[in-house]
Amino acid sequence: MARSISRRSFLKAGAAVAATSVLAGCQPGLRRWVTLEPYVVAPEEQPDGIPTWYASVCRGCPAGCGIMARVMNGRAVKIEGNPEHPLNAGKLCANGQAGLQILYNPDRLDAPLLTAKRGSREFARLPWDSALSTLAAKVKDAGSAVAIVLGPTTSGHLVDLFQRLAKALGAPAPLVFDARSSWSGTAALSAANQALWGQGALSAYDLGGSDVIYSFGADFLGAGLSPTRYGIEYGRFRSQPKGARGYLVQFEPHMSITAAKADQWVPIAPGTEGLVAQAIARIIADEGLGTSDRIARAAALAGEINLASAAQAAGVDVQQLRQLAQVFAEAQRPLAIPGNGQSGAAGVTAAQALNAIAGGAGMALQGNPPAPALVRAEPAGYGQVQHLIGQMGSGAVKALLTYGTNLAYELPAQAGFLDALDKVGFVATFSPFMDEMGANSDMVLAERTYLESWGYAVVAPDFGVAAVTSQQPVVQPLNDARSAGDVLLAMAKQIPSAAGAFTWSDEVAFLREVAGGLPAGAAGGTGADAQWARFLQHGGWWPASAPASQPTPPPSASAPISVAAPQYQGDATIYPFHLHVFASPLLGISGANLPWLQGSPDPLTSMCWQTWVAINPATARKLGVQKSDVVRVTTPYGELEAPVYAYPAVRPDTIAVPLGQGHTDLGRYAQGRGASPLALLGGDAGPDGEPAWATVRCQVTPTGRSVNMATFEWTPGVEQGFFNQGYPGE
Amino acid sequence: MLEHELGHQPAWEQPLPQEPRTREQVEQFKEKKLLLDVREPGYMDDIVMRPAYTASPRLWIGFLLAGLGLVVLGATWLWQMVGGIGIYGIARPVMWSIYIVNFVYFIGIGHAGTFISAAFRAMKIQFRAPISRPAELLTVFGLTAAGLFPLIHLGRSWKAYFLIPYPNARQIWPSFHSPLVWDLMAISTYLSCSALFAYLSLLPDLAMARDRETRPGWRKRLYEITSLGFRGTQQEWHLHTVAMDVFTYAIIPVMFSVHTIVSWDFAMAIQPGWHSTVFGPYFVVGALFSGAAAVILILMIIRKYMHLEYFIRSEHMNGMAMFLLILSFTWAYFYFNDYLVPWYGQDPAEKVLSFQFARGPFPANVLWYLLLICNLALPWGLLWNRKWRTSPLVLTIVGISVNVGMYIERVLIITISLGVNQMPYDWGVYRLQLPEVLITTGAFCLVIFLFFLFSRFFPIIPVWEVKEGQEMHRLRQIGRAVVDTRVE
Amino acid sequence: MELNTHKWTMVIDQDRCTGCSACVIACHAENNVPIVDENQVWRGRGMHWIRIERYWEPDGQYVKARLLPVLCQQCDSAPCEPVCPVFATYHSERQNLNVQVYNRCVGTRYCSNNDPYKVRYFNFFPPQWDEPLNQQLNPDVTVRSAGVMEKCSFCVQRIARAEQAALAEGRQLDPSEVVPACVQTCPPSALLFGDLNDPNSQIASVLAGSKGRQYRLLEDLGTQPSVYYLKGGETNVGA
Repeated sequence: MARSISRRSFLKAGAAVAATSVLAGCQPGLRRWVTLEPYVVAPEEQPDGIPTWYASVCRGCPAGCGIMARVMNGRAVKIEGNPEHPLNAGKLCANGQAGLQILYNPDRLDAPLLTAKRGSREFARLPWDSALSTLAAKVKDAGSAVAIVLGPTTSGHLVDLFQRLAKALGAPAPLVFDARSSWSGTAALSAANQALWGQGALSAYDLGGSDVIYSFGADFLGAGLSPTRYGIEYGRFRSQPKGARGYLVQFEPHMSITAAKADQWVPIAPGTEGLVAQAIARIIADEGLGTSDRIARAAALAGEINLASAAQAAGVDVQQLRQLAQVFAEAQRPLAIPGNGQSGAAGVTAAQALNAIAGGAGMALQGNPPAPALVRAEPAGYGQVQHLIGQMGSGAVKALLTYGTNLAYELPAQAGFLDALDKVGFVATFSPFMDEMGANSDMVLAERTYLESWGYAVVAPDFGVAAVTSQQPVVQPLNDARSAGDVLLAMAKQIPSAAGAFTWSDEVAFLREVAGGLPAGAAGGTGADAQWARFLQHGGWWPASAPASQPTPPPSASAPISVAAPQYQGDATIYPFHLHVFASPLLGISGANLPWLQGSPDPLTSMCWQTWVAINPATARKLGVQKSDVVRVTTPYGELEAPVYAYPAVRPDTIAVPLGQGHTDLGRYAQGRGASPLALLGGDAGPDGEPAWATVRCQVTPTGRSVNMATFEWTPGVEQGFFNQGYPGE
Repeated sequence: MLEHELGHQPAWEQPLPQEPRTREQVEQFKEKKLLLDVREPGYMDDIVMRPAYTASPRLWIGFLLAGLGLVVLGATWLWQMVGGIGIYGIARPVMWSIYIVNFVYFIGIGHAGTFISAAFRAMKIQFRAPISRPAELLTVFGLTAAGLFPLIHLGRSWKAYFLIPYPNARQIWPSFHSPLVWDLMAISTYLSCSALFAYLSLLPDLAMARDRETRPGWRKRLYEITSLGFRGTQQEWHLHTVAMDVFTYAIIPVMFSVHTIVSWDFAMAIQPGWHSTVFGPYFVVGALFSGAAAVILILMIIRKYMHLEYFIRSEHMNGMAMFLLILSFTWAYFYFNDYLVPWYGQDPAEKVLSFQFARGPFPANVLWYLLLICNLALPWGLLWNRKWRTSPLVLTIVGISVNVGMYIERVLIITISLGVNQMPYDWGVYRLQLPEVLITTGAFCLVIFLFFLFSRFFPIIPVWEVKEGQEMHRLRQIGRAVVDTRVE
Repeated sequence: MELNTHKWTMVIDQDRCTGCSACVIACHAENNVPIVDENQVWRGRGMHWIRIERYWEPDGQYVKARLLPVLCQQCDSAPCEPVCPVFATYHSERQNLNVQVYNRCVGTRYCSNNDPYKVRYFNFFPPQWDEPLNQQLNPDVTVRSAGVMEKCSFCVQRIARAEQAALAEGRQLDPSEVVPACVQTCPPSALLFGDLNDPNSQIASVLAGSKGRQYRLLEDLGTQPSVYYLKGGETNVGA
């Protein structure tokens, strides 16, 4: 029976249909994707579905690896290593891969900010013109009382521009410093080479070609100097001809991934790396191990040392030291890698001395950048930073400019930087993010990220590779941030004393001039335009054939090396444990605002998103704590609270805490998360001018609380496996 | 009352014998045996139809609470679909949890229903007469609840139709390699067959309700439609009996195969703790075991609250209890095999599982010992004594205990076993969350709600089977003894 | 396009793997794998298509660490395939890989239960990227929704691109053109990839030259994985 549909029922039915289709469209999960809309008229270099590759440099660490960015429809979707680049040959580490999350980070600044009250975190947005004129005015007023601090990943051309600015103003030269460079002990290495060979250059190590490597606390596979380059070298080291696979010994109190891959991990007490190195040199001399050349050099270089007390201080057997000395002395191409500033300059020198004793075949002293106009960001020693803080505190610094270094976070709280900052008239920071330095500045100049910027990087001399990596924007800048180079040039024009030194229209013009000074390289090309194009296209400059490496001269040390036993800070009865501060290979020191790095498991603990306190399981049991219990770690300088991870690969008398968390700023992924062990360190330098990273004692007390620990592994499964065993020694 | 004294009065009007000893025996039989205790016409009908006409406030409260449970079920499921199934407790590697436990559990409890209504009928077990319908209803309602869970546990429930082989533009079948598709086939077969079987068995009673209802109105109309015009002629009864026989013999293999197929969801996997060839019969026996306990529980409840003491007597309680006891022995045998053989094989992952059950960590060991108490200690401790077997309180306790124990058994198999595998780095645990509790409660409320709903309209006891049984049973005197005899 | 003639194989040299996790991040970037927050990681919902497992072995007073990169083994006889009720995972004939079809997956998670390597990851929630992080998503790879299982695909999108390029240019695919993101970025070259059917490939020669060190994960289960491991550390028995 046909029934006519009334209008009311039709509308009802229609509404129901519409409602269901809306509901269907609201299916869970269809949120926040990018809608792919091809351009109506696509730019010629961006056809749909076909990527364009741009060569540039990675700024995750100072090494200067060459990268290629895969760009589709104007968006950078992947970073790969540049296969042509002699440093990394197409490979790239985790930090480099995570660079895209710097570019597309949701917490990027997009305008210059100015605050009326420093530290209030209440900023007003400024138009660029206004910001530039304010900045110029402040710098002009400060005149020669301007201090500039740069980070070690700063592009060479920016270092150059800042240096020229300082010179034009009559101010001191910019300082290059961050926690990573300090912790890596680069400055101590130059001093060591100066002492041993009279050349204050850095040395490069041929890991891949060595048969025995002794690493004195250098986590070269992890967050040290370049996981990419040393990773490549390590691959060669383990795959030598005729099945030879090298022998790696790692001396450190807490197992890093380098120690995990070592054939022998020697768990020495923190700060005793130098003692052990000297003891080995002494044994080579005294017992006549190896060739006569080596024995002679050892006799000349190794100072007097009481082996028994050195072994005891380090926590090893004398017998083990003898065995280690023998292996080193009798190896064909042994190599010693000095650690970071953990044991101070003398310790670094002692480790380098072993290379001198070995004949220096595995290392090479590095020269200067390939072109005089190229500038490298040479990290300064901690002593220079202390001097700066002193100057700031006495009111001698009227304006402080910082670029690429989060000093307010990366110095020990006890160094007094924030207090000294109060006495500085004007503080301006260049940064893509609001980090702690920005939060404590008057002006924050929104900086472009490296993937949107121009520049170059002279490859760090630690690797024996002569190359300059070029940097170019791979995408259109995402927002209104400006590059520091252009800001400096524009600002300088407003400062009469500096205007004359800065004649370029923009930084690209500056860069072209600098790059034009490079000699002919592998990429070829005649004429400035062709050279510049090739420089960008291939990702940099390197010689057509690798220069012959200079043989290491015989050592010319004036006095035998003598390392003192470490002086630990803190009364051993109140602070029974050693504190070992380290960097996780993923998070490093500065990766906290990148979700890929936060959310991926630390290789040896599988921890994500958190700070942990690594305690030997036997010690944990004595303390009455287990994994997830929150403990308080106190040193004479400060305290922090973090949950315990019962880590079987750390000395029972040592507590290890990773760097990287404990931010109060730096965006949603970093803020309010974990704690920074920099709060536990003293501000004074050790007797050799480096921070006393390794010689602080600590106490651990349970708090009675526990948290849910984000470990990716199932820890009880790994701890017990199929055998329900406890840890050895329990 | 006695056979040879058959007179012209109807059975319920016949006087008791004169001789005292004989009279005593007859009275005892009448009191103990339902099928010998014939009452006037309409007596039984009145008892079973009364809930359809009256309701106590207590019932309405129960109905309301059960309905609320349903609403909670629906709302939680919706929350889950919108928010993502991450709101409940599963994780890598424990990807199945309480929902699958519920799935197996609700299917399992239905097996006793089929066994009682079909297998007992085939075996001509007489105490089955009044209890077969509550049991069948448990099967049908349990399967309804169970059938929700394969949908609820899906990551994308709204795409569940991919499992149905319908002509589609992609020209893809579902994968018949997968035990989940076998589940779909088996359970849909089982549900449809059980529902039809239950309806068939309901038919004569619907006719009774129709004939009994003299006033016109919606009830009369309802019974008229649902009774399909059943008149009770000889031909209709004959066809009815033939149909019941066909179903009886057809549904028994379906019953065995359904839970075997459900067990193959686990046995076909290579997961430690699952990969055991004994799972087929083990699950079937486990299903019967938990089903028998569930049926006992239902019977005790309806007996008390619907005043069915006439129908459910100590003989039925004793019969069900002995059935349960036998099943508990059988189940214990299979359980022992399931643990002995893998332990003997010393597979590392299996060893870890055994260790967890025996020594921890919590909750594996606590649950395991609770399981042994609930499934073995309590039934074996309480059911060996006839007096206790016929006590409603004891039966209720044992019914709850075995249900809890069998639920725990599935929880152990699914959520604990999945936490262990061959890669210790990737072990894990399952943490129960609120949505699972809400939905599980909702599923139980669904079954209760359906029972409530059914009892408001239709008789919950198969009166026609009781009448048929009473027709076929007679007391005869042989010498001085009075015996119960039955027409085949 | 003719049916598969390639046998894509990966070799993982445990002696070279340093645990640097570059492969983990590269995979996240290439395959749009979401990052899971702290609470969800604690609940066991972390998602990393390739992960570095670390086991401890007793060594005197301390322990030795053993690093094991684990990714989908692309088994020839994959236990995850027969149990999927809707063919969301099956063995592709063209590339001879275990593929996962996201839009077909209904989320029963049976495949994960039957996967002995536990390399399958489930989207418990709709994955989210705070803008503009979503601009980084790779358009070559589907972004999965909640309720869908995902896993390593040997970067099948790169294989498909190379196949299409070869087809467009009218030539055969050169297997050495194809490299997954993890293999491409691995600094020590611990991950190697290639076509085992090609006798001239690097993979074939590496496997031929390392018979003493080769093994496959959980081989006794009969899954026939396509990933070969070379033993590392002191268990490296040489060439």
